Amino acid sequence: MNDGPLIVQSDKTLLLEIDHPLASDARKAIAPFAELERSPEHIHTYRLTPLGLWNARAAGHDAEQVVDALLTFSRYAVPHALLVDIAETMGRYGRLRLEKHPTHGLVLSSTDRPVLEEVLRAKKIAGMLGNRVDDDTVLVHASERGNLKQALLKLGWPAEDFAGYVDGEAHPISLVEDGWAIRKYQQEAVESFWHGGSGVVVLPCGAGKTIVGAAAMAEAKATTLILVTNTVSARQWKDELIKRTSLTADEIGEYSGSVKEVRPVTIATYQVLTTRRKGVYTHLELLDARDWGLIVYDEVHLLPAPIFRMTANLQARRRIGLTATLVREDGREGEVFSLIGPKRYDAPWKDIEAQGWIAPADCVEVRVTLPEGQRIAYATAEPEERYRLASCTHAKIDVVRRLVEQHQGQPTLVIGQYIDQIDELAELLDAPVIKGETPVKERQRLFEAFRSGELSLLVVSKVANFSIDLPSAEVAIQVSGSFGSRQEEAQRLGRLLRPKAEGKTAHFYTVVSRDTVDADFAQNRQRFLAEQGYAYRIIDAADLDVAP
Amino acid sequence: MLDALVVANQTSEAELVEIVHADAGATRAAIERLTDLALVWESPGGLRALSAVADALRGDESAGVSGLRPMSPDPAPDIDARLAAISLRARALLDHVLVSGGEGTTGTARRTVSPADAATPVEELIARRLLVPRDGGVLVLPGEVGIALRGGHTTTTPRDEVPPLATTRREQSLVDRTAGGAAFDAVRRTELLLDHWGLQPPSMLRGGGLGVRDLKAAAAELQVTVPEAGLIIEVATAAGLLTSATDPEGNEVWLPTDSFDTWAAGSTAERWVALALAWLDTTRLPSLIGTRDPAGKSWNALAPDLSSTMAPDARSLALAQLVGLDEGSVLATGTGVPSIVERVAWLRPRRPSVHRDLVAAAVHEAGLLGLVGAGGLSQAGRAIVAHDHDAALVAITPHLPHPVDHVLLQADLTAVAPGPLETELARTLHLLADVESRGGATVYRFTNGSVRRAFDAGWSALEVHDFIGSVSRTPIPQPLTYLVDDVARTFGTIRVGQAESFLRADDESALTELMHHPKATSLGLRRIAPTVVISTMPIDVLLPRLRELGTAPVVEAPDGSVRVARRDLLRARRPRTSRTRGAAQARAQATVASVVTAIRSGDRAEASRPASPAIATTPSSALVALREAIEGGETVVIGYVDNHGASSDRVIEPLRLEGGQLSAHDHRSDDERLFAVHRITTVTPLASPRT
Repeated sequence: MNDGPLIVQSDKTLLLEIDHPLASDARKAIAPFAELERSPEHIHTYRLTPLGLWNARAAGHDAEQVVDALLTFSRYAVPHALLVDIAETMGRYGRLRLEKHPTHGLVLSSTDRPVLEEVLRAKKIAGMLGNRVDDDTVLVHASERGNLKQALLKLGWPAEDFAGYVDGEAHPISLVEDGWAIRKYQQEAVESFWHGGSGVVVLPCGAGKTIVGAAAMAEAKATTLILVTNTVSARQWKDELIKRTSLTADEIGEYSGSVKEVRPVTIATYQVLTTRRKGVYTHLELLDARDWGLIVYDEVHLLPAPIFRMTANLQARRRIGLTATLVREDGREGEVFSLIGPKRYDAPWKDIEAQGWIAPADCVEVRVTLPEGQRIAYATAEPEERYRLASCTHAKIDVVRRLVEQHQGQPTLVIGQYIDQIDELAELLDAPVIKGETPVKERQRLFEAFRSGELSLLVVSKVANFSIDLPSAEVAIQVSGSFGSRQEEAQRLGRLLRPKAEGKTAHFYTVVSRDTVDADFAQNRQRFLAEQGYAYRIIDAADLDVAP
Repeated sequence: MLDALVVANQTSEAELVEIVHADAGATRAAIERLTDLALVWESPGGLRALSAVADALRGDESAGVSGLRPMSPDPAPDIDARLAAISLRARALLDHVLVSGGEGTTGTARRTVSPADAATPVEELIARRLLVPRDGGVLVLPGEVGIALRGGHTTTTPRDEVPPLATTRREQSLVDRTAGGAAFDAVRRTELLLDHWGLQPPSMLRGGGLGVRDLKAAAAELQVTVPEAGLIIEVATAAGLLTSATDPEGNEVWLPTDSFDTWAAGSTAERWVALALAWLDTTRLPSLIGTRDPAGKSWNALAPDLSSTMAPDARSLALAQLVGLDEGSVLATGTGVPSIVERVAWLRPRRPSVHRDLVAAAVHEAGLLGLVGAGGLSQAGRAIVAHDHDAALVAITPHLPHPVDHVLLQADLTAVAPGPLETELARTLHLLADVESRGGATVYRFTNGSVRRAFDAGWSALEVHDFIGSVSRTPIPQPLTYLVDDVARTFGTIRVGQAESFLRADDESALTELMHHPKATSLGLRRIAPTVVISTMPIDVLLPRLRELGTAPVVEAPDGSVRVARRDLLRARRPRTSRTRGAAQARAQATVASVVTAIRSGDRAEASRPASPAIATTPSSALVALREAIEGGETVVIGYVDNHGASSDRVIEPLRLEGGQLSAHDHRSDDERLFAVHRITTVTPLASPRT
């Protein structure tokens, strides 16, 4: 028996008791190879996955280090089978190498011939490879570099990519740190990305991912393509880049539905890239328009599948992915790993919150009871109608009104899913609405007004979920969401977490109808927040006035 | 050594020393030992192996000692010269024969050729007497040639060096701790599985053994791999904790034995020692579960034949090698196990190759059971190998985790027990929450379903709160309190009960009156709502009794409509009268006609029968005859065997032959009938023309 803070379970989860004196040492030791799965108040759960172990290998850790970390901090004996499994899994990485051959170009080579033979016989891979150069080397079609890596990952023999990157067209970019400074963790993130070549940086919303992107560009000093989720966030990137770097407005182009500029630094939306006309992606040439030295993917977890396929062709360029969570509702984390790169840096929300970089949040679930008439309507409704009925109940409107009154004067966002519900709310609260059909100009004007404090209440639909910087928001009230998506919850909470003046606490309310599917979905969200370490309070709508 | 003697047939000590690929001193010592064991004797002509020894050695082809053949009686001295003279292709062939066991077949090669006109490498070798043809087209590599090819020795590699074990350094405390963890896991899993099987026993296969599906289910239940589950099951059986028995329904199943209860009551250490000792001595072969037997059938766990006396031997040999290691050195990861296999193979060269697999499996299984940790033998493992029960108990105890009496509750509705829970506590938590992850610690998750399960088992919300409060070291998170209260609120909203009939009335006072009627007590009435009363009596009994009480009830049909109780008038059906005269007559006539037809057709069959008994035609000739009859539209007599095996002659006009059936016009029944062709014994054309 060893009195360590870590318990290694046979299902490959690691339980870390965080009140233990050695907890932070243990966390540092296991963070490189284990994925943090949940971090509630007492015991954090990490999971060992092949991806995580390969990530660690890619970052230069070996199996001996992993085993040693487990043995050192484990309270109970570590199952031997697990240790063997770790050694085996990590041993699979790098048996195959993608290299630049001086005469043959891109080749796949192996130090372990049987492995090479095995993958050569896989049907999926056959088309991507050319002739055998010798027993241990085989030609790779340059355009298949990404697809090959992806396919090899699926076969369980991830290839280490030594083929290097093209430098791209040089362009001077540097950070201009006047009145602000890059934070330590941001610097670390950029460094570990740069050493790794390509990869994903995971930081909580509000922790300044844009700065990480800007710093990466300053490191690359080359023309850059930035892919973002929507136009508003494209404009925000542009503003931020002008503010934080030596780039001027003339050097930054926007490539979206309305404007098509290709400049040394071009910001394009996912949507415009995936637009198809007659089955052809019309804007693909953008990817080849310049000799890009760096490609930045904002919100990697939202990267649409077609972009994956395009990315497969960009393997020779440096890629950085930025995200708050690697959780993809479609489970394609593995593709992010093989196409953009392994996770290069992450920090748990709570750690960054403790450092004061993101605001602490108080999460409250307010339960309303459906009025009798609506309960009957709900009980007899078709299953697909139920959620809408439950989440759009009028009982919620009254609660929202009271909450808004309570937080009078604090910048407040009311977030909803259903347009008629938010329209109704807006009318009642006498507040402006931002929804899908709001023109970009109008949106920007409203966001600007909200940011400057001129406007203290805004009703938004789900368009505001992502990448819209509203640093001043202190209160968010969500009345309906898309069926309890964890990622949506993270994003919405993220809106609130930009650090506040005087270290104020943000308030995050979710209004939920009791005894309905709405409450069931809320449980999903609640679990997500609890797993992120946010204590979650539940109060009844009736007790609302009493509560702080 | 013995091999060498057999090869040399009869030889001197000096010669042996020369041909055995080993240090001279070691060889002499070995000769002495073999002489002492009376496997070798000093004949006047030199050392000789007992002829039985030679037979025993040569008899086993799987022994892996390749290419050892006795020398020719009078070895020609110029082997080297002859070897030098052959072509490259012939040399390659010779090397191949040497490696693959010293035997080949002649194929089309001529046996007697001179070196000069040898056309193929084989012929060349035969001509130079490097391969000797034997009976049955077999070519044999003579011993002296083999020795020459191996550079003057009987083996290519030295035989006196003990294969080294690949080791690495690990602290003994780490070894003990890892082994302790595995030991605890093994005990816990055995208990978990047998507890589970005590409730839902898996059925026994007809040939004994456990079905693959049950094995997989067990592996899933225990969260281990299938081979590991197999090991746990086999060890439990070996320890007498599991056996086959008949369940109450008369099916053969695998059930925990009564000694399981005794075992389960013991301390973890005692339980582990019992399992480990049982494993060490069992002849079962858990490592072969799932592999194929020689007949290509997959081995099932607990299959009766899955045992070998070699198993305990392989285990003790393998573990003996580990006992021999110094404290602090353990088998290296990866290369350690192959090296121990090599070592044992060197110690026991004549074991069949399966023995090697058993040695590797023994080391692996010892790791799973906690005799071995991180590649080294634990203190407790040493005691087990020495069959020292008490020492093993003492050694293992400090390395087993202590049971804990509390859990940590978290806001995501999980409870983490940071160690093995006390049995009673574990059972209760198991009821209240679902197990999410097992291992050193256990993670439980509270869900609507799990809390409802507790309510079903008779818990109240207050009890649940109290229990959670008493076992938690941390404050109870608010969402958990809400969860329990939410479930409590909806629990039992709808009630289900049993009743034979119901009474309802819009007039509440009517029901009240009935309930209070002195004679109503025997009706089993219970009021469940102001306007509804239920009864334990069926309607047909209740109805007259209610009428006796002076009420005027109306009966409702199952769909709620009122059933009018009108008496059915009873009527019988008119009996059938006997047949009329005319019909009877017609029947009689028809009978006569058919009898006459049958007699006539019988006569015709008789008439056409040849004087001598019909020669049973072959099926193919019968078919030919039938086809001819069909084409010619002839009438034939066939011998036909009916369903009961009775043979009869039929006169028929064949019409069609298809799908093994003959459709033909049968003269006796005067109808078209189907005959199965395979039942037709003879076909005889009817001589007379068709009538």
